[in-house]
Amino acid sequence: MNGWRALRRSGLGWTLLAVFLVAGYLFPVYWMAATSLKTNAAVYASPPQMVPWPPILSAYREAVFNNPLTLRSILNSAIVGLGTMLLTLLLATPAAYALARLKLRGATVAILLLLITQLLPAIVIATPLFVLFSRIGLINSYPALILANTTFTLPFAVIVLRPFFLTVPRELEAAAQMDGCTQFGAFVRVIVPLVQPGLLTVAVFAFLMGWGEFLFAMTLTTNEAIQPATAALNKFIGQYGTEWNKLMAVATAVAIPIIVIFAGLQRYIVSGLTAGAVKE
Amino acid sequence: MRRAMFTATKVRSLTHRRVLHRWDDYLFIAPAMLFIVLTMIYPIFSNLRMSVYDVNVATFLSNTAPFVGFDNYLKVLQDPAFQKAFLLSVIFTAGSLAFQFTIGFALALLFNRSFPGNQVLRALMLLGWMLPSVVSGSVFRWMFDGGNGVINYALQSIGLMTFPRFWLIEPQTALLATIIANIWVGVPFNMILLLPGLQSIPRSLYEAASIDGASSGQSFRYITLPLMRPVALSVLLLGIIYTFKVFDLVYVMTRGGPVDATTVLPIYVYQLSFSFFRFGEGAAAAILLLLPLSLAAIGYLWLSQREEVMA
Repeated sequence: MNGWRALRRSGLGWTLLAVFLVAGYLFPVYWMAATSLKTNAAVYASPPQMVPWPPILSAYREAVFNNPLTLRSILNSAIVGLGTMLLTLLLATPAAYALARLKLRGATVAILLLLITQLLPAIVIATPLFVLFSRIGLINSYPALILANTTFTLPFAVIVLRPFFLTVPRELEAAAQMDGCTQFGAFVRVIVPLVQPGLLTVAVFAFLMGWGEFLFAMTLTTNEAIQPATAALNKFIGQYGTEWNKLMAVATAVAIPIIVIFAGLQRYIVSGLTAGAVKE
Repeated sequence: MRRAMFTATKVRSLTHRRVLHRWDDYLFIAPAMLFIVLTMIYPIFSNLRMSVYDVNVATFLSNTAPFVGFDNYLKVLQDPAFQKAFLLSVIFTAGSLAFQFTIGFALALLFNRSFPGNQVLRALMLLGWMLPSVVSGSVFRWMFDGGNGVINYALQSIGLMTFPRFWLIEPQTALLATIIANIWVGVPFNMILLLPGLQSIPRSLYEAASIDGASSGQSFRYITLPLMRPVALSVLLLGIIYTFKVFDLVYVMTRGGPVDATTVLPIYVYQLSFSFFRFGEGAAAAILLLLPLSLAAIGYLWLSQREEVMA
């Protein structure tokens, strides 16, 4: 009984419970990776093989490494993700600064507009953008996808960044301007470096959103040379039928950059999530 | 010196506020606003416009569609498929939210305690939410597979089922399977948004209650629940908005099928425009999809505005 009480006091009992729940929660992620490392025979084994032993890379070889379509689509996703990230930072940083610091007429309306944009369903934007981009010949291009993705990352970025600018002491700007900086010069050289954590949060999110976006990928591209990995994975569902190890190999390949970025930068992701979603 | 600087900035900010609306200040925000106008205001108006014209595959590029008034809206509203899609969306949203929220709340209560490894475990849970929904959709498609899916195996081995089910092929179970997958995606989101609300409840309240002899159940009922109401309400409204517009996950798992058993509203809109190329009706359906969302959005914005004033 004493041991039980000690366990309670240290909180290790809660740790145990949490480990158990989180492990159970993450089972689908494990199952994806495990299936991708199986042979065809092992995929259909009954009862299912819980640990892929011996792990085999043949599904990756066939569906990822030796499939130019998959490799191309992963490269496309990287380009679209990075493009979305850059465009978002470029547009959102000065806008968030202006909304935090400068007294603008209509600032409230602007913030409201951004909030509403974030809540729109992608399908409402996809059709008009498809019509617009078809008319100006932008279908099947990286800019089409980057522009469309930024519709959702921009409001998020401004909302996350604005509070960071609010915490920068006003005296710093005044001092920089007294030293002969223009307002824009003070912004670029003095203010922006101070909000680096916020910029990193926004950069990570914009990249992840651009990487994982699906509806625009499907509606604004038809050309396999441009199509992102999410659209490619969706096509493989029909193509691979029941060759689940291959489908899971592609799914894992699409997920790995997310998992790596997540592992390295989770601090920024958690803070971004809470900052961007609940509080304005 | 310090004081002088303070007054200098104060005067400056006052002149800013009252007299000078310097035009170059607007250059900071102009690009972002221009972008929003181009990619959000324009699409909404273009949707509204398309919804009163007969835009189809023959007329959409040439811009010669005839004006048809509210015909598209009438057609969509009278379409049994639209009515079914609306109903499915409501069931999908209610079913997902009820469990996402309850499980998320329970996990938030767990992670609100301090124990070793709390931060790391909490962050790990977010992975489910961060994965692209095409990836999670593919994984759940595989787990719900009728032939070799691990869910059939688990349910059969604990004796809950005698025969394997073809979850995504049988109309009675396909929606249930997509709801379960969506609950999985949404739990960490609810958990992470509810946690700050729990953390902001002063510990002294619980201490006072326990001195007065309140049980932990009573503390939960009379302290936690009432104080969590505003946060819970805004998380639920946000959840309604995000769940009502789910497209990717369901589309990847079922394509809206079997037949139309999982054709929720966003999939219905997508099919009108991109499978049947009836853009006019698609636009009308998109506007109809926006209506319930706008209500939830207005509620959410109103609520967060009020909280801001109170805080």
